Amino acid sequence: MIGEPVLVMLIEDNIDHAELVIRTLEEHRIANRVRHFADGQTALDYLFRRREFSDPETSRRPHLILLDLRLPRIDGVEVLQAIKNDDELKSIPVVILTTSEAEKDVIRAYMHHANSYLVKPVGFEEFKKLMDDLGFYWLGWNTHPLIKD
Amino acid sequence: MMMRIVQRWLLPSPLNNNEGALRAHILHYILLFLFLAPPLHIVFIYFQKPSNLNAALTLAVSSEIINIGLFLLARKGYIRVVSIFLVGVLWLYTALAAYLNLGQYDVIFALGNAIIIILAGILLGGKGSLVIALLSISAGSLLISTNGNFNFRDWIIASIFFLTIFGLQLLSSKTARRALDRTQASRDQYRSLLENLPVTAYISEIENSGALTYVSPQVADLFGYTQDEFLNDSHLWKKILHPDDRERILYQNNASDATQGAREREYKLIAKNNQVVWVNDQAALIKSGNGVPLYWLGVWTDITGLKRAALEQENSIVAATSRAVQLQTAAEVARISSSMLDPEELLTTAVTLIREHFNYYYVGIFLLDNDNSHIILQAGTGQAGEQMIKEKYQLEAVSSSMVGWSVVHQKARIALDVGADAVHFKNPLLPLTRSEIALPLISRGETLGAMTIQSEFSSAFSDADVIALQAMADQIANAIAAAQLLSERSDLIGELERRNAELERFAYTVSHDLKSPLVTIRGYIGFLQEDVNKNDIPRFTKDLSRIASAADTMQNLLNDLLELSRIGRVAHPFEDIPFNQIIHDTLELLAGSFDQTNINVVVQDNLPIIHGDRIRLLEVTQNLLSNAVKFMGDQPAPRIEIGCDERIKDGLATFFIRDNGVGIDPQYHEKIFGLFNRLAPEIEGTGVGLPLVRRIVEVHGGEVWLDSGLGRGSIFFFSLPTAISNNDRAID
Repeated sequence: MIGEPVLVMLIEDNIDHAELVIRTLEEHRIANRVRHFADGQTALDYLFRRREFSDPETSRRPHLILLDLRLPRIDGVEVLQAIKNDDELKSIPVVILTTSEAEKDVIRAYMHHANSYLVKPVGFEEFKKLMDDLGFYWLGWNTHPLIKD
Repeated sequence: MMMRIVQRWLLPSPLNNNEGALRAHILHYILLFLFLAPPLHIVFIYFQKPSNLNAALTLAVSSEIINIGLFLLARKGYIRVVSIFLVGVLWLYTALAAYLNLGQYDVIFALGNAIIIILAGILLGGKGSLVIALLSISAGSLLISTNGNFNFRDWIIASIFFLTIFGLQLLSSKTARRALDRTQASRDQYRSLLENLPVTAYISEIENSGALTYVSPQVADLFGYTQDEFLNDSHLWKKILHPDDRERILYQNNASDATQGAREREYKLIAKNNQVVWVNDQAALIKSGNGVPLYWLGVWTDITGLKRAALEQENSIVAATSRAVQLQTAAEVARISSSMLDPEELLTTAVTLIREHFNYYYVGIFLLDNDNSHIILQAGTGQAGEQMIKEKYQLEAVSSSMVGWSVVHQKARIALDVGADAVHFKNPLLPLTRSEIALPLISRGETLGAMTIQSEFSSAFSDADVIALQAMADQIANAIAAAQLLSERSDLIGELERRNAELERFAYTVSHDLKSPLVTIRGYIGFLQEDVNKNDIPRFTKDLSRIASAADTMQNLLNDLLELSRIGRVAHPFEDIPFNQIIHDTLELLAGSFDQTNINVVVQDNLPIIHGDRIRLLEVTQNLLSNAVKFMGDQPAPRIEIGCDERIKDGLATFFIRDNGVGIDPQYHEKIFGLFNRLAPEIEGTGVGLPLVRRIVEVHGGEVWLDSGLGRGSIFFFSLPTAISNNDRAID
């Protein structure tokens, strides 16, 4: 597809779920690379290049952010807000990937400019299918804006 | 004394307006003169005919004896008899003297007879005068004939002389009578006028303590005592003076006797039928032509009706005013009762209102406590009220106090003189209380407390006041009941909202947190198949353990949710438990997790005995202690301290569990009590522990809070009700 390697940022506190996402994405060789963050604070540190992530060489901008909503300490919506309030980061597509089907979560996510809202399906085949389609759509069909590093 | 008697005897009877009195007056002077006549006669005889002295003396003595008799008779009122006798004797004496003088019918005889004719005219009237004149004429003829040489000419002259004297006497007496009658007529006119006026006139003496000498007959209408009763007892008017006024009136009388100024005043007397009669008394000092004060002439006007009307008007104004004040106060109490939702503000406003409008000394409201054993002052006026509120003034709900009595009996209790009422508990903060009323506060048949109203005056509460005040008390009671209901309702609504939010969160959690392990389980089950296909045994094992762990998580979650839903629903009986016992049991339960650590646990001795659900309280300490262990971090000298705050407040003891672990950023202090909120995903837990702790403590009536910061450890505080016996115990 595009010459440079695709970077997907996964923000997910549940390690099992993170593994599930990474494995299904990798299996279909959609993602060149998935970087996993277990909490919102670390993810924001990475995106804003703070602390150990201050080197732009190693902290490259992701092409896609997969964000869980229920995160310890800093909530998923807060992370979303931080991204969408930043002039540089707000062009990165953020896809909410959560178990919650609650309407208020969906509304909250879109109110803060989430680019998509996906509910984790219960069931292996469904999960795989979702990850397939997600990969094809966001990393295949979808045209990315130019991201300055 | 002697002088007084002599004076009394020598003075004539008072001169009155009628002829009889005038005659008595004249007779009195004649008799006095006659006392002098015999001694003068003796003197005359002594010089003229000393030989006749003995006979003259005898005559004089007998004359004087007769004189005394006549005088006494005259004083007794036998004026006419004495007059006839006197005139008769005088005439006989003259005739006898002429006879003894050998019938010498001379000038002396004629003059003597003339005087007697005049005297008879004065004392006995025209007829007496004529009788004496005729007697004198016939006696003259007798004397002349006895003399032998009847001098017809002299007799005729004497007769004409006598008749002339009689005629003159008659004329003068008629003229005098006419003049007298005219005076009498005008006096009668005045009297009739006086006695027909709608007032009572009186005459009282200046001397002799104001003895009444005349009173017009209307006095009978005024006081019920007749004119005669007043005249017979000239001091009666003083005896019937009202005790309220007696001193003042007698003092004023004495004063005006001295100053001679006119009197005008209003006072009360007590009539014969014991009714109070109000009079207006106006009197002027009457003086003789040469300015000598004679007597007081006064007029009593009956003003009882006026006074009564004025009093009634005043009473009705007072009654209307107080009714208006009552109505206004009742309206204001009603207004605040219906508009104020805060019971404390309502009661404070109500007592102030009632005290100020009625100008009472003190007004206070007591309410029954939860177990109905005491009544506690909720609002009181003035500094005394403030002081008592500060001291949480309370009384036992028994009949030994006024308010206690009214609460127990659900009736108003009035002490019109608190000194006399043993039930009143003397309050040193309210030293001026003289009367008190305690009104029960009853709403829908339920006694809520009582209102006390105290006055600085004895007998300050009329029946109407009691009715009005009880009406206000009822309104206040209804308002209190309404406020209590409202507060219960808003508590219930708050509770409901909290439950609802919890339920929402629960539903949300079920859709998210419970689904999360399901996603894991179903996902990895799929991978298991792949692992088998690829014959990748290590990954198979790993994926299997992930499934098992997710299943465990799910089970824990379900267990915790179940637990949480049980609190408040499943209640174990409350019991008294020494808190040290609970800590001891908890540490035993957690022994496993402590074994792998080097945590130093310090438990304070002699912790209070608490009152609660043992099993739930174990969950509280278990959760808090296991949190302390879990979040100890890499503290080199880990330490957990369990203790109790020194003071017991409102029956609650405050315990604390202090650790020197990682601590919690203040921004998360509220979040950690939310259901399924977890700050550290890397540390095992379901996010139910602290919500559970909060629920349990709140069910016990206590609170949970914390003092913590990142890197400085945490102190979790929680308050729990103490056993009753603890309340008397000092805790150190």
